[in-house]
Amino acid sequence: MRALPTLLIPALLAAPAATFADAPAPTAAETEGLASVRAFTLEHSTALATEAAALRDRVAAYAGIIAAHDGDYQSAWDADGATLAQAIRDIRANWLATHNEYETIEGIVAGLPRTADYDLILDAGNPGTEDDDVADYDLTLPDGTELHQPGNLFHTLSEPVLWGTNPDAVRLAVDLDGDGAIGAGEMLFDPNLALGAAEGLAFWTADLQAQVESWEPTRDDAFTAVVTMTPTIGDYFGEWKDSQYLGGVGESFVAQSRLVDVAGIMNGCQLMYESAISPVLAEAGDSGLDAVIRSSFGQMLDLVSDTHAREQAGESFSAEEADALAAESQDIADRIVAQVLQAAARYDVTIED
Amino acid sequence: MKLKSQLRFHLRWLALAAAGVALGLGIGALVTPVPAPVGTAFDAVPFYRLPFGPDDAGAPRPFWPSRMQAASAGFADGAALPSSATCAACHRREFDEWAGSLHAVAGNERVYEATEDANAEVGRNGAEQVRFCEGCHSPGTLLTGRANRFASVMPHEAELEGVSCISCHTAIHADPETGNGALTLAFDRAEIEARGPQGAALLADPRAHLAAFGAPDTTALLKTGDFCGACHNETLDSSMSLVPDPGVAVQATHAEWRESWYADNGITCQTCHMAPDPAAQVMRIRDGDLRAPATVSHRFIGSNWLLTDTALGDSLMILRGGFLPGVDAALGNMTAGAQLEQTRAFLRTAAGLELRESRLDAAGLHLHIAVQNLGAGHNLPTGVGDQKYMELEVVLRDAAGREIFRSGGDEQGPEGSAAVRWMEEFVDSRGRVIPDHITFRTAAVRWTRHGIPPRGEEVVPYDIALPDDTAGPFTLEVRLLYRLARPELILSNLHMRVDVPFFALAELTATIAGDGA
Repeated sequence: MRALPTLLIPALLAAPAATFADAPAPTAAETEGLASVRAFTLEHSTALATEAAALRDRVAAYAGIIAAHDGDYQSAWDADGATLAQAIRDIRANWLATHNEYETIEGIVAGLPRTADYDLILDAGNPGTEDDDVADYDLTLPDGTELHQPGNLFHTLSEPVLWGTNPDAVRLAVDLDGDGAIGAGEMLFDPNLALGAAEGLAFWTADLQAQVESWEPTRDDAFTAVVTMTPTIGDYFGEWKDSQYLGGVGESFVAQSRLVDVAGIMNGCQLMYESAISPVLAEAGDSGLDAVIRSSFGQMLDLVSDTHAREQAGESFSAEEADALAAESQDIADRIVAQVLQAAARYDVTIED
Repeated sequence: MKLKSQLRFHLRWLALAAAGVALGLGIGALVTPVPAPVGTAFDAVPFYRLPFGPDDAGAPRPFWPSRMQAASAGFADGAALPSSATCAACHRREFDEWAGSLHAVAGNERVYEATEDANAEVGRNGAEQVRFCEGCHSPGTLLTGRANRFASVMPHEAELEGVSCISCHTAIHADPETGNGALTLAFDRAEIEARGPQGAALLADPRAHLAAFGAPDTTALLKTGDFCGACHNETLDSSMSLVPDPGVAVQATHAEWRESWYADNGITCQTCHMAPDPAAQVMRIRDGDLRAPATVSHRFIGSNWLLTDTALGDSLMILRGGFLPGVDAALGNMTAGAQLEQTRAFLRTAAGLELRESRLDAAGLHLHIAVQNLGAGHNLPTGVGDQKYMELEVVLRDAAGREIFRSGGDEQGPEGSAAVRWMEEFVDSRGRVIPDHITFRTAAVRWTRHGIPPRGEEVVPYDIALPDDTAGPFTLEVRLLYRLARPELILSNLHMRVDVPFFALAELTATIAGDGA
């Protein structure tokens, strides 16, 4: 594993000088807001690293059982089937806990240039299949195999392995839940790839936690994160549309609905706005604009939670409906971003690209 | 009384009256509200990026790489631009026709939007480079400063409407030679009318409305093919792709027309595409009646029948990007249905097939099939040539009805198919075909076959080896198939499986005797 590229060269987008006059001085509310965002991010990044370390240990234990049978999966299942089934249930629960801790802060982590690369490595980057947004790291597996730019750790590597949607990592189909039939995802997986991915998660989440610890959030950070991440909502609905929750064939987003992630990310944006930006608008006397933006965030999150509630209630959505929801949420997000950017210009805020 | 005496007698009153008039005019000027300045200076929209720098003369290029220009030298105020739904209050028929058109959804339909998003992901300035697309697809987005990585301008209705009423009815200049959206639009005229004392109350000052949307320069321009050519000629060069300068023409619809018999005879784009019954209009021209229609339609009938296909049900309106302002489900279905009917009929007037020669010898059956452009005033096919393509489906059966030869009609798309096909291929810097219209990654363009020019034809030979146990007479079935997009485009960009069936432009059936005659 090599170190995260630390040289970030942000393009600084300065607002016109003529609009700088109204920049309000930092208030106690803003300072407290920024501190609370930092505390929130640190709390969840610490929990993320803790969960990831536990996940690594659980996968290592699973790998140990398989190794004790010299890699003979049938023999391992025959001898320790109940233990393996429980281990896989625990691993999956642990993976979800790890992932959900990340989603809680993704709206902040991915929106800040100083931490955006962690988002690519952990959750959103591609394995070099595109020119941009590559998860730029290498991974060494326990057996010594070197993987160059293998894709993001959550959705390209670990999730498809642990839920059996990566056929190359399926080692033996077994009746995990003991219901007499082998359904989707009931299998023993490749411990080498799973452990490598889990070790990667443990490493990079710990690194992220250290970054967050040294982070002193600024007004620029708050505005940048909100205007960067809020408009990505339409993309997430697109991933939801591609997922198996809507009849797609994607290997990723099978562990839980992508809508859970959307809610987590947008809650992060809302938190950043309400804690750190809203006080700036209040100090500048822009309470009307503040109310409109707050209301729009509420609308957007209501849309996400209502859709998720309908999905949980068993409603099935067509791809076209997913597109319509994406368009509706995107429209709200675009309005929020335009208003936040107008405020940013008035308050001498630099948006980092 | 003599004349001079009369003048002297009245002079004082005349002078007083003149002074009164002057005073009145002065007071009038003072109390008449000065129209608020329209638009926004290019440097006054926060965070608007200009990554492509100024032009050679040092002038800013806020809309580059689109060649579109704003007459006002500033951004338009989206909030002040009238939605086409506003125009519907008086121009109902025109609005209803337009609402079903592809122009209406050009900037918002899902295939375009997804493809634009995919292009925006390319490179550091992708979000700004899509200005190239938005110029023609959504002038309301481009000219209000919304095409930007960080869009600080509020969304507005005019950007939902693609090529809307004001997109054409404020045009004052077009440069078809340059293409790539080389129009100058005077959106400021619309803003001036909206902000005038009469506001939207048209009857209070019809002259203001005429000045905004019926100015002589606009009216004259709208009648020309050159106006259409500003967008219907497209060149890829280093401004928006990896194609080296001076670039390569990937859409040359206007250029094809300009060199044609149609242009020589005064038949413009509008003659056919804005005819109330475009198919009938083409057939009249094919029969030698070159008169333009007495009235025009705003359906702009072209080739895209899929995005008007009411058989898709609710999916159609979603694919079209949702309901436009002023359009409900009833109107949407009604106008799309009419659009579909006219489009299908129109497509059936474009092409013809003829069997020119059939000959049987020891090597097999030799056919010459003529593919004719009978009704299109531009090449066939034309337009977005890496997606819209035409191919021949040829099926030969023996006397027993057994299929002994088949070529073309490949539902899976062009990849791996050896059919005779007229299409462009975008290729990347490694020579790989780009099937999903990622223009910004395109490094070169190649043609399997160039389109067939107006009133031209191409004779395609087929040499068919016959199995030993076969015997004539043979039945030949030929269809000239047209497709609006490669299947990969939809799957890759829209992440949906939408069937893009072939449309048969022309069909031919022939019986060939056992001796080949």
